[in-house]
Amino acid sequence: MSRAREIKGRIRGVQNTRKITRTMEMVATSKLKRAQDRLGSARPYSQRLREVIGRLLNPELAARYALLRQPEATRRVAILLVTSNRGLAGAFNANLTRAARTLMSELRANGVETELHVVGRKGISSFRFLGEPIASDRADIGDRPTAEEADSLVDPLMERFIAAELDGVYVIHARFISALSTPPNTTRVLPIEPPSQEEAPRAIDYILEPSADAILEKILPLYVRNSVYTALLENAAAEQGARRTAMKSATDNAGDMLQTLTRTYNRARQAAITQEIAEIVGGAAALE
Amino acid sequence: MAAPAGSSASGALHVVVISPEETIFEGDAEAVVAPAWDGEVGILLGHAPMMAVLGSGNVRVTRGGVVERFHVEGGFLQVVDNVVTVLSERAETAA
Repeated sequence: MSRAREIKGRIRGVQNTRKITRTMEMVATSKLKRAQDRLGSARPYSQRLREVIGRLLNPELAARYALLRQPEATRRVAILLVTSNRGLAGAFNANLTRAARTLMSELRANGVETELHVVGRKGISSFRFLGEPIASDRADIGDRPTAEEADSLVDPLMERFIAAELDGVYVIHARFISALSTPPNTTRVLPIEPPSQEEAPRAIDYILEPSADAILEKILPLYVRNSVYTALLENAAAEQGARRTAMKSATDNAGDMLQTLTRTYNRARQAAITQEIAEIVGGAAALE
Repeated sequence: MAAPAGSSASGALHVVVISPEETIFEGDAEAVVAPAWDGEVGILLGHAPMMAVLGSGNVRVTRGGVVERFHVEGGFLQVVDNVVTVLSERAETAA
């Protein structure tokens, strides 16, 4: 009977694990819903911004704005890597970290200096482990990133880009395509890639207060901040999606495991009973 | 597209106030007063297309005699075809 008892213990362990993963799955599902809502309600702002920039920006004059400056030679770029604070989300953070390392080695192969800014405990600890220097780290951005947090991340980088200390800024974050698909995505936020002209039909004769130049001067930084904010939001949604998927498959696997264990347990139990009967029968026969 | 005032005046001004996080207000109104960079601008039905940088202060939206206030800091305002869009990094319903 000892073997059966041992299996029974394992069954209980797996049952407990399944309870935990199932709860985490449900928590992630509800957090995902809210993160998606936030992503949706942030959309109008970025849409209008892009529209207005498309309308005002004359591609030939682009070089006049510091944030659109295409550097002649790229010497130093900053990479802003967005990861999550918590694990148990499958390969979510590993994918992001790998994307950052790929980008860094590509840039370095071209003789470009890189500096790494990391958001999220998971990214921070994996680069610490790799012994890669981290220029700045932030672990205080949670499930509900705010626009202020995005500003505080990107503003120093923007200033240094304007001062020509940096020749580019990349953001790496997870895209949220669906809960099943959250691939890492690398975007260059500086210099700004002007929104394509098709996106914003021009030919509206605006009264401009004070002038197109002055308006763009004000709006372009908002655009950069907003792309970082959107990246944070999307990453938060993707994290929950990835966690839900990971926890769902963990729950399913626990179910399969329970089934096999139960079967093994029953077989062991039956074997023990059969043996006991055989012993009794044998004992009785010996008495006759 | 610079239609003279009144040509597309089919009803009311459509007003949208947006912050990076969410759409704070969306609805029809008779008049909008906004704190532009150099003083307040008033917008009524049939206003010509305009884009203006905002300073900080309250955007006032009048509808049916009721005034709703939204506090903004920076950002800009756009008027096209009787649609007024107020975009600001800090925008919230003012008390």
